[in-house]
Amino acid sequence: MKKGLIVTGILLWLTFIRPVYAADDEKLLGDESDGSRAIPAHLINLYDEEIAELDKISYKILPDDKPLLPFSTRQTCGMCHSYQTISNGWHFNAVDANVVPGRPGEPWILVDTAIGTQIPLSYRPWQGAYNPEQLGITPFQFTCLFGGHMPGGGPGELESDDMDDIMRQGISGKLEINCLTCHNAHPGQDQIEYAFQISQQNFRWAATAACEFASVSGSAKKMDETYDYLMPIESEDAPTVTYRKDAFDHKNRVLFDIVREVSDERCYYCHSNLDAGTPRGDAGSNNLKRWAADEDVHLTAGLKCVDCHRNDVSHNIIRGYEGEDTASQNPLAAVTSCEGCHTEGRLGAPIPEHPGIPPVHFDKLSCTACHSGSWPEQQTILAKTSMAHRLGTLSTNKAPEALPHIYYPVFAMQGGIGAAYVGGLLDVSSEGKIGPHKLIWPAFWGSIKDDKVTPIHLEVVRKTTSKILSKAKRSRSGDWRELNDELIIESLKALQETAEGAAVYISGGKLHRLDGEGKLIACEHNAAAPYRWPIAHNVRPAAQSLGVRRCEDCHSTDAPFFFGAVAVDSPLATEKGSSKEMIAYQGINRTYARVFAFSFVFRPWLKVIALGCCGIIAGVILLYALRALACVVKTLSGRN
Amino acid sequence: MFRIVSIISFIVAFVGIGICCIVRPCCKECRWTPLAIIQRIIRIFTMLLLEQKLSPVGALRKLVSLLALLCFLILAITSFYPVLILGESIHGYWLMLHATFSPVFAICLAVLAVMYAGNHRFNKNDWPWLMHIVERVTLVKSSGEDAVAESAGLGQKTTFWLLAILTLSLILSIILSMFTFFGTDWQELLLDIHRWTALSFALVAIIHIYIIIRAKMQE
Repeated sequence: MKKGLIVTGILLWLTFIRPVYAADDEKLLGDESDGSRAIPAHLINLYDEEIAELDKISYKILPDDKPLLPFSTRQTCGMCHSYQTISNGWHFNAVDANVVPGRPGEPWILVDTAIGTQIPLSYRPWQGAYNPEQLGITPFQFTCLFGGHMPGGGPGELESDDMDDIMRQGISGKLEINCLTCHNAHPGQDQIEYAFQISQQNFRWAATAACEFASVSGSAKKMDETYDYLMPIESEDAPTVTYRKDAFDHKNRVLFDIVREVSDERCYYCHSNLDAGTPRGDAGSNNLKRWAADEDVHLTAGLKCVDCHRNDVSHNIIRGYEGEDTASQNPLAAVTSCEGCHTEGRLGAPIPEHPGIPPVHFDKLSCTACHSGSWPEQQTILAKTSMAHRLGTLSTNKAPEALPHIYYPVFAMQGGIGAAYVGGLLDVSSEGKIGPHKLIWPAFWGSIKDDKVTPIHLEVVRKTTSKILSKAKRSRSGDWRELNDELIIESLKALQETAEGAAVYISGGKLHRLDGEGKLIACEHNAAAPYRWPIAHNVRPAAQSLGVRRCEDCHSTDAPFFFGAVAVDSPLATEKGSSKEMIAYQGINRTYARVFAFSFVFRPWLKVIALGCCGIIAGVILLYALRALACVVKTLSGRN
Repeated sequence: MFRIVSIISFIVAFVGIGICCIVRPCCKECRWTPLAIIQRIIRIFTMLLLEQKLSPVGALRKLVSLLALLCFLILAITSFYPVLILGESIHGYWLMLHATFSPVFAICLAVLAVMYAGNHRFNKNDWPWLMHIVERVTLVKSSGEDAVAESAGLGQKTTFWLLAILTLSLILSIILSMFTFFGTDWQELLLDIHRWTALSFALVAIIHIYIIIRAKMQE
């Protein structure tokens, strides 16, 4: 009897439960390749997020469980792939203060038209981007705002200090890394559903809802603090999982259509870009048409995103910028850049000749300056991105002027790379080459003390100013509300009561504050500087690169590269329509640039004169050389 | 390396000229008193002036020579100062100034080449030892002295033709890089050629100018 119980217990353990713990340095089955390029069939059991306290084992999900629980990627995928290792990858490690931020990248942009706010946020210490906590945004709130275009992990798994958030997180669960966001090749992987589930605060259920064999109804947002997902109430609003009837096989396993090399469409969900039109909304008939824009030349040539943006199990993905090897642990960081492939011909990359281009261009310009983004025009154009505009979701505002306003291409000096922490401070290399950027003008309410501007918490701003600013004329297209000086003055006065220093409003590249007489004054300030981040896509082919026609593509007095107008974005009516010259961001003296550009008018004359003089001098040398030769010939022939 | 070689070359050239001045002064009675030095400097300065005895063609030759000298000084300063003193490549306003005066210099050199080539034609008086060998080998005697008016000395002729040849290399190396014939590697090679040719040109020009001044002083 006893033996039978022991045997049964062992069999039960083997059948239903697996040990899930692994030492940090212990490699799991899928962490190290054996060299086979074949992808193993992922016919596996599903596990929920619960782990038994004592023996740290997780529970299988069976089709006839009541209630049916969502599967946990940490427990399911984590059986064979070290979740902890993967969570240190670039897409998930923004909240880790020990991770060096590298080159500035695209921030999350918080927009609130009701309070005239458009502010770049990032957990990474990129200069010009604000930590969400500076605005009083908790990780839970951040996940609610931006989780729809996140692959999970990061702030979605952070424990909050806020009591309200702790309660809500208990209901919503944590937003684990959703491996299927990238690695599920099934066409039924629905990221729109994922974003919808995030909006309902169904963090625990989001990965399950997005996959092809399950659906989730209900909303954790509507549940009160007493809700327990393990003992759900009978309610239409309670989050409920339904698995497809034929999803499980006879061994209660589910088939995941997993790919190692992620397809481009998966990347596109978060990393799409669109030229939205000129700032005046003059979109034209084709600017919004995705089909009219040429694809990146690398993709057209047959490469995939992951051919360049590679990583191993660490998910320390290559970003592909010059100098990345100083900040990244990825061993391929040094060789997987423009130069890395195009000087060695990797992946069939043509090795460029760059005929006629003086080598100094390669010291001062990045490859992307000539080869990436849209061909520069006299004024920057509005751009939309997946991360900023929620492209690909049901709630996307398709108006070209919908906030946030991102302008590009802006040819500017690339920011330094934050490659190491020295004595607790981030060591940022000096600014690099000139390259194309996207740019956003921050607009937010803050307080200034000792010349340092600190954003005021959003909730405080909303409470204080939303009634005042509601008087502003609204825009139907999602553009700014039209603010005037009176509204700003009134808001600043109201905020002054709660602000630590003097209340200020940052917008349009200026800091607005009240003087001693209560009048609004504007001045330049670092906090009002635009936030910009370098771009690399879409790459244009060589025949469409800058300078392919002639030097005057860039070196002329009206060339957009130097003298194009960067639109200044502001909700203030008095600041609309203003612009700055591109050269202001390039660290080049404007007068010098103008004179140098003007000198190119005479360049053809220089060539003609120089070649003509060479011809004359060569003629003289030839004439006297021939005379000398004649002398020699005469002498050797015996004639005097 | 270019910077070090340039500095050493210029030092050697100027020191060599200085030693030559001391060891073989241009006049037998030359003294090194301060007054004598000032007089010599003034005399060199007066060489820059147009002489009344010159014909229109002579005056034109002198003007072009002076313009070439000015351009040479400007081009030398704009090219070598950033490299030798600042330790950086020519850029910014230095480059623009350099590019502005270079076509003027090129025209001057072409005119000077046409105008002075005859004066700098080598003749048998320049190579007596060579003539002696030729006569021994061919058993042909030379017919007599060449009547060449205003013929320059051997050193001056040699430096003249060296400058002419170097000019071709100097101009072509930079002008060809402005066309879409050459890729990056060749562009860098052309730039190196221009750089080293410019150094050679500058050194030869300094020697050429010294020889001319010396010849004028001896007259």
